[in-house]
Amino acid sequence: MDDLRQHLQVAGDEEVKISSRNVQVYYGTTHAIIDVDVDILDKTVTAFIGPSGCGKSTFLRCLNRMNDTIDIARVEGEIRIDGEDIYDPKIDPVQLRAKVGMVFQKPNPFPKSIYDNVAYGPKIHGLATNKAELDEIVERALRRAALWDEVKDRLQTPGTGLSGGQQQRLCIARAVATEPEVLLMDEPASALDPIATAQIEELIDELRQNYSVVIVTHSMQQAARVSQKTAFFHLGYLVEYDDTGTIFTNPKDPRTESYITGRIG
Amino acid sequence: MDEDHIASAYDRDLEAVQAMIMKMGGLVEAAILRAAESLEKRDEEEAEAVRRADAAIDELEMRVNEECARTIALRQPAAGDLRTILTVMKIASNLERIGDYAKNMAKRTSVLVQMQPIEGSAGSIRRMAKQVELMLKDVLDAYIQRDPELAEDVRQRDMDVDQMYNALFRNFLTFMMEDPRNITACMHLHFIAKNIERMGDHVTNIAEQVIYLVEGEMPVDDRPKRDRTAFETVGPEA
Repeated sequence: MDDLRQHLQVAGDEEVKISSRNVQVYYGTTHAIIDVDVDILDKTVTAFIGPSGCGKSTFLRCLNRMNDTIDIARVEGEIRIDGEDIYDPKIDPVQLRAKVGMVFQKPNPFPKSIYDNVAYGPKIHGLATNKAELDEIVERALRRAALWDEVKDRLQTPGTGLSGGQQQRLCIARAVATEPEVLLMDEPASALDPIATAQIEELIDELRQNYSVVIVTHSMQQAARVSQKTAFFHLGYLVEYDDTGTIFTNPKDPRTESYITGRIG
Repeated sequence: MDEDHIASAYDRDLEAVQAMIMKMGGLVEAAILRAAESLEKRDEEEAEAVRRADAAIDELEMRVNEECARTIALRQPAAGDLRTILTVMKIASNLERIGDYAKNMAKRTSVLVQMQPIEGSAGSIRRMAKQVELMLKDVLDAYIQRDPELAEDVRQRDMDVDQMYNALFRNFLTFMMEDPRNITACMHLHFIAKNIERMGDHVTNIAEQVIYLVEGEMPVDDRPKRDRTAFETVGPEA
């Protein structure tokens, strides 16, 4: 279906940012992700939806090699970001994660000041040569995360003292501070109240100008609100991937229809 | 979709609103037949009963709209459920219009019984009304059975109604030219015929809604039209 909401339309260039081919993930003997092929676009919000245990978070974590940290997890197949194979042995996962930032379900600021939370990444990646540059990076990241006005007068207070919604935006600021190109979000608003959720969603829409955003969400309404592309996962398979408008009005696969209309959990 | 929702109250809501559509459809079918019958039998009382019965149809349309608004607000329907709600609202509004046309037929019947009957007209109008009523019955069956082929068949049958209307239109023109005293009655009869032709168009709209409900897309082809009366002239051809 054509989306008449012009501002939500997929960017005209439709440039592929992440492409996965024949991706399999095993946890021990469990085959958690089966044959996933998908092209994720740049400057687009892509939502992964599906019932618990469908593999959507597992697949998301493949995109910045977070599954490397799980001993029994094994990833096969090919995932390329900007044409580069991220599972190539010469890729440094730490560098990769600076390029592919991640925000988690529960806000997890470091037990440090607001300033240090944001400055940490740029410091270890050597993005600033002096204090003034670092100040600038911190301010820019906090502005992008729509948090600057609320915290600019108390940058040295602990990040853990902020409200839940502010903490989550702080985590987003921390993720964007290293100038990533892709932002992965795993249920970024599910621990927040409706107002903070709306702020995060508004922020996601703004982040789309600069990043390829991939969001895993249990809220189908949230997927419908924030994304331009939606991928439905079920039992480890990518069942359907299409424009969000199409998925929610006229999905092709009966399993997608059953899930989004509340017939299978 | 044959599966039930996890929330069973959602299924009950969707079923209830569709039951209302069926009830509306039954009332509208009866209104069409009774209006045509009262015209043929010149039965003023029956015509008056048809006029009074329209209130129940209007009332049902309102309730359908309220139920749909409530379901949208509370359940945020998606995909097939969303299309069900959207089509239910449109079908209800089309049925309500058909009911209005039947009511208008009955009003004109009350006037017509005071006048000399126009020979053969009431029978032709009843046949035309019967044709539309059958189309309506089939399109409601197509809706319940989610049968796009039957809906498409109904859609094509609207051509027959258009042709019947064309024939009546020429008939009435002839009667009026023959004797100006026929003009008042023929004008009313012509409006009645036009009303039935419009009913056919509304049934066609419902058929398109059924196709949209099942297939997710409206039929794109242009339906062949046979109503040419817009180009009709009186007297010798130029």
